[in-house]
Amino acid sequence: MTATTDDTQAAPLPGKGNAFIRYAYRSYGQELTILCAILIMFVSVGLYSPRFLSFDNLNSIFAGNAYIAVAAIGMSMLIITGQIDVSVGALIGVLATISGTLAVSGYPVWLAWLMPVVIGMAINAVVGILVAYGRIPSIIATLGMLSVLKGGLVSVTGGAWISNLPPDFLLAQRVMLGVPFPILAMIVLTVFASVWLKYSALGRSLYAIGGNREAALAAGIRIQRRIVMVFTIHGAFAGLATILFATQLQVIQSTVPPNLELTIITAAVIGGVSVLGGTGTVIGSTLAAILFATIGSALIFTNVSAYWLRAVIGLLILITVLADMMRRRKVWG
Amino acid sequence: MLIKVLPTFLSLSLLTGVSYAAPAWTGADDQPTNPLACDASPADVASKPYDGGAAVDAPNRKGKTLKAVDIPKLVGIGYFTATSKGIAEAAKEMGTMDVKTDGPTKANIDDQITLIDNYTTSGVDGILYAANDPVAIAPILKKALAAGINVVGYDANSSPDSRQWFVNQAEFNGVAKSLIDTLSKEIGEDGAFAIVTSTFTTPNQARWIAEMSAYQAKCHPKMKWLETVEAQEDNILSFNQAKTLINKYGPDLKGIVGMTSVATPAAADAITQSGKCGSISVVGLATPNAMKPYFASGCVKSAILWNPVDLGYAAAYVLRATADGDLKPGSKSVKAGKLGELKVINGSEILLGAPFVFNKENASSFDF
Repeated sequence: MTATTDDTQAAPLPGKGNAFIRYAYRSYGQELTILCAILIMFVSVGLYSPRFLSFDNLNSIFAGNAYIAVAAIGMSMLIITGQIDVSVGALIGVLATISGTLAVSGYPVWLAWLMPVVIGMAINAVVGILVAYGRIPSIIATLGMLSVLKGGLVSVTGGAWISNLPPDFLLAQRVMLGVPFPILAMIVLTVFASVWLKYSALGRSLYAIGGNREAALAAGIRIQRRIVMVFTIHGAFAGLATILFATQLQVIQSTVPPNLELTIITAAVIGGVSVLGGTGTVIGSTLAAILFATIGSALIFTNVSAYWLRAVIGLLILITVLADMMRRRKVWG
Repeated sequence: MLIKVLPTFLSLSLLTGVSYAAPAWTGADDQPTNPLACDASPADVASKPYDGGAAVDAPNRKGKTLKAVDIPKLVGIGYFTATSKGIAEAAKEMGTMDVKTDGPTKANIDDQITLIDNYTTSGVDGILYAANDPVAIAPILKKALAAGINVVGYDANSSPDSRQWFVNQAEFNGVAKSLIDTLSKEIGEDGAFAIVTSTFTTPNQARWIAEMSAYQAKCHPKMKWLETVEAQEDNILSFNQAKTLINKYGPDLKGIVGMTSVATPAAADAITQSGKCGSISVVGLATPNAMKPYFASGCVKSAILWNPVDLGYAAAYVLRATADGDLKPGSKSVKAGKLGELKVINGSEILLGAPFVFNKENASSFDF
């Protein structure tokens, strides 16, 4: 269904019909499905309430979950490699507090933007080493990290908020080339990561590791190094997501947003990243993040309780994973 | 192909199906409401027998200097620094109370229990506390009562029989009245508004909303309650929800009420970034620190909470009156210095009074 190292899977099927469409579908089925879903929501809710398609609301939708999309890029790479990180929400909370504290303490804003990325990479490099060389399953290692980060954040800040942020710091509020910065960042990072994953040897090796570890090992891929690398890259994206998260408002909440890690993992999974590793794209995860924002906005425009957002997203996860399982059975079973 | 496409559309059609059927949700619970009078006249107090505990064989402390300790949830944060400031202020004013604040450095119930135990053993006349856990703290407070120590809670209650009195910072109907009155002042009697809450099942928020709805229907019937949206305790989600409300209602929307200290500043940022300062008002429950940027820009005029300095001040006076025997089971009110007469409610609670409205002028004197 997606960009994989398995070229036979991406080959057009014999038979009638437009070979290009079949190829596109085989390679990007989940992405196209989500894109169609977004467009259908735009049209149907737009007909119901034209203000849904106003410039302001489209901006809100695309910018609203940009930080989730950016974090989901790193998460997708992790899951593709067969790993997971359940601590990313707490990490973003901690990095946001560090970033905001630097900004209000008078450090230059570029440093306040840079440090979340650097510290995110450092923390996750440690997790990566524990997973790769300490042989701790990633869910256990990151669950431990979740407690450390969450507990540490509350202890250090005592729940106090950061306000009085310097106006220069508020990057996510800026508009560049007529586009809000979060949207620009989301697009640029998604395209960059997508190209790197598909065309670089390193990027493709992640699919190999997640798809078939033994084969990857036999092919000479240094699996442990790659795992540390992918955790570190994931840390960088968590840092970039933090910049968008921390600079959106004039105050920074020093508690971790509830269920942020789940939302990020969900975006990756609904975007077509297989929970079993080996397949998926970051275009899918970004589209899924936009789909969540679209559904969230549509629920308000159509006066539906937000409970349905959770129910619908839960349903989407179950069915996406089920479909993934069934596809695999078809291919290998 | 079907297997990939079907799930998404199935869910979407489900969504669309519901969307046309569901009415707007207010987010209120279904408990009975008790809206206050539209003017400032006090509410009828349903009399309920005293249900607090008693200090066993407490000596006659009337007029004698009272050795007391204040044990808040934690020390070192602005909120409890403010309550201790109020307690110290009252003690100085009375001249007959020797009080110090000693709380855990983290909001940890075990540390708090240890502290209370130590002070009970070392011998004090009175204990003021804000409980980290209403149930877990009860046994140690009962031990203090059994040792003849006067015990008064504030901010966060424990089970009634484990203390003598509790100073309640705000009742649901009082907060509701304050929110709606402030809102009506800012958006007018026929203004339309929407609410950003945490979740529809959060008990406090659901209670406030129910009281707001009842009070608005009674005292500001022409105001229009557009809808309530959920945003959990998530500031970016609150911001996105508030922006969506602004986009949805356009010029019809005149006010947004934030029901949590997370939602209120986020809604303020949403109107700031949408360029709606002045045309859409934001009021809500919020701490002054989180609202300072929006007070400074003039985008938000008022935020509602209680005054923690007054809360501590009242708690100290209640402790003094309890020790003196002036406040006893059956009392209807208690004198609290500059705050005047405070009412006894719910059996063994003292109501601080109407909530406090923070604004540009007074916010700078608070740090929490």
